[in-house]
Amino acid sequence: MQQGKVPPCDSDKEHHSQGRRGMAETAATPSCSSRRGFLKEMGGLSIASLMGTAALLTNSDDAQAKTEWAEWFQGNYRLMTDEEKAQAKARLERRYSQEYGKPVMVDTTPAKEGVLFGYALNIQKCIGCRRCVKACVEENNQSRGNAQQIEWIRVVKMEKGKFTPEKMTQGYPDPIGIQVGGNAYSAAGVTLEGEHYYQPEKVPEQDAFYMPIACMQCEKPPCVKVCPVRTTYRDADGIVVIDYNWCIGCRQCIDACPYWARRFNWSTPNVPKAEMNPKTHYLGNRPRMKGVVEKCTFCIQRTRHGRYPACVEVCPVGARKFGNLLDPNSEVSRILERKSVFRLRADQNTYPKFFYFMD
Amino acid sequence: MNRYALNALAVTLVCLAASAVSAEDKPCFESRKGASEVTPHKLPNGVPSVKCSPTTGAVLWWGDPYDGTMPMGEMSPPGDYSKGQAVVKPREDKLGLLPVCGVACHNGSFPPPPKDKYPRPLAMHQDIVPDALKLQHGRGAIWCLDCHHPTQRNKLIDNFGDSIGFNEPQKLCGKCHGPILRDWRDGIHGKRTGEWASDGKKRWYVCTECHNPHDVQQGARNSGFAQIEPEPAPALPKGLKNADHERHKDHGTPHAGTPLLERLTSWLQHLRKRGATGTGRDASTLQ
Repeated sequence: MQQGKVPPCDSDKEHHSQGRRGMAETAATPSCSSRRGFLKEMGGLSIASLMGTAALLTNSDDAQAKTEWAEWFQGNYRLMTDEEKAQAKARLERRYSQEYGKPVMVDTTPAKEGVLFGYALNIQKCIGCRRCVKACVEENNQSRGNAQQIEWIRVVKMEKGKFTPEKMTQGYPDPIGIQVGGNAYSAAGVTLEGEHYYQPEKVPEQDAFYMPIACMQCEKPPCVKVCPVRTTYRDADGIVVIDYNWCIGCRQCIDACPYWARRFNWSTPNVPKAEMNPKTHYLGNRPRMKGVVEKCTFCIQRTRHGRYPACVEVCPVGARKFGNLLDPNSEVSRILERKSVFRLRADQNTYPKFFYFMD
Repeated sequence: MNRYALNALAVTLVCLAASAVSAEDKPCFESRKGASEVTPHKLPNGVPSVKCSPTTGAVLWWGDPYDGTMPMGEMSPPGDYSKGQAVVKPREDKLGLLPVCGVACHNGSFPPPPKDKYPRPLAMHQDIVPDALKLQHGRGAIWCLDCHHPTQRNKLIDNFGDSIGFNEPQKLCGKCHGPILRDWRDGIHGKRTGEWASDGKKRWYVCTECHNPHDVQQGARNSGFAQIEPEPAPALPKGLKNADHERHKDHGTPHAGTPLLERLTSWLQHLRKRGATGTGRDASTLQ
């Protein structure tokens, strides 16, 4: 909030205090222009005063106020007409351009016919350098800095298992016997105990492998099932997207996701103006507000225009592969055809479109 | 006081300016450190050509994935890659020593070609080929002239004695690593940037842009990649002092090395001791 980094909130607050001085006693001052704040306010307002505010806001010359007013009353993205989408796009572009001091483009390109995005990651190749994590932040305007750091990809360092023949033939102890591969005397195979915060001088380390995890873009996404406002949904090309404007911040989707792929903006995201990526998509990397959930969108602003996601391009070992699952010649289809592939937590019946493979 | 303050300010400003300049001009590496360096510059549309990581100097973002590339050209046998537009970044112009060999070093006369291909200790060039004496490739079965042309020193050589340019090492590497070449041709192996469509324009990273051919085994790890510095770890959750909760001693499971039965018996002994004191606490702590 400091240094005027978040004009919508500040200007909004100012505006409200001017416009609604009369009912300041009844309504709690909104902390920010989030939907939640607005709804909370609504409870304390009478219709008459609301009408008064409406008149004040719509009559005012402040473009920002008008924008916010219209934003509050815009429909769910899926129900918007093309005209409404164009209006929303223009509104956001104006607001973001003003906010970040450079021309910001908000894309509303819909899914292409005959495209179903899929992702494959060679788990044998990954060296755990975390470049994908940082490239994602660079591309997708996540909050950075110490106050609130949001990263969509996490790389988990795992222990390499050992399957030795002598251990395989040993028996199990009688009273207890939880087997994690090999036998229960000593753990063999993968123990599924990962490290997120590993920081060695050099990667890859001996006897370790690395497992990057992000949104799996499930075909049956649990997050979509639980969303009470249906603001997150599976789009036609298989990407699970979020209309941030309709997110009420209930965070049920974060609970529902078995992959820990979603992140919550507890405070207003800190995206430095110089570092902000001005090529955005409405459902993807446009700047988020406080109190909404975000996650990987397969770089929707890039992939819907044909470009690889940022993490695919940055991977220095070529472990990340991306393509159209409906195209038999695509890289992903070829991997599914030829390589040993597994999906994370297949038992959850989420049908991820993110595949891990081995040579 | 004031003068000191001013001086300090001036020094700080100069330092800041210097760091800004160096950040702009400092080369970053794309995939393999030491062999895929690029220098950031502004593209015609005002976008930076690359954005680099401030901590490791690795490229994180490409403004134009085809910057500085050229068409890959023909490859045999033809594969599906030919449908798309394949471009590569030429490496030959970066290999500064190659063109001067046979001219400058040897006074214009070519060194006599070796009599045979059998490995023998290198008598010279140990300074300009640092990897030569500790070649980690092929586990002793290959040596220099299996890949490098004996007479045309700026070329590689294939099984049939035909020369291969340094821009297309896949033609050479594929002669032993056939399955990997097939995977690479089909886009399963190796790095691509550009468009995801199977007929889209892509920049193909060739073998030596990711692997060091002289040290491909990388010791016991045998991963094929040199070790690099990782990007910083994510910030710890608020209130957490360190990440010791997830760090395991000697890189393994907690209690790695201790057999489960031993752990159980020690735990049982601990329980029994607790039972003997009569209370749930250790007697010593009560005093």
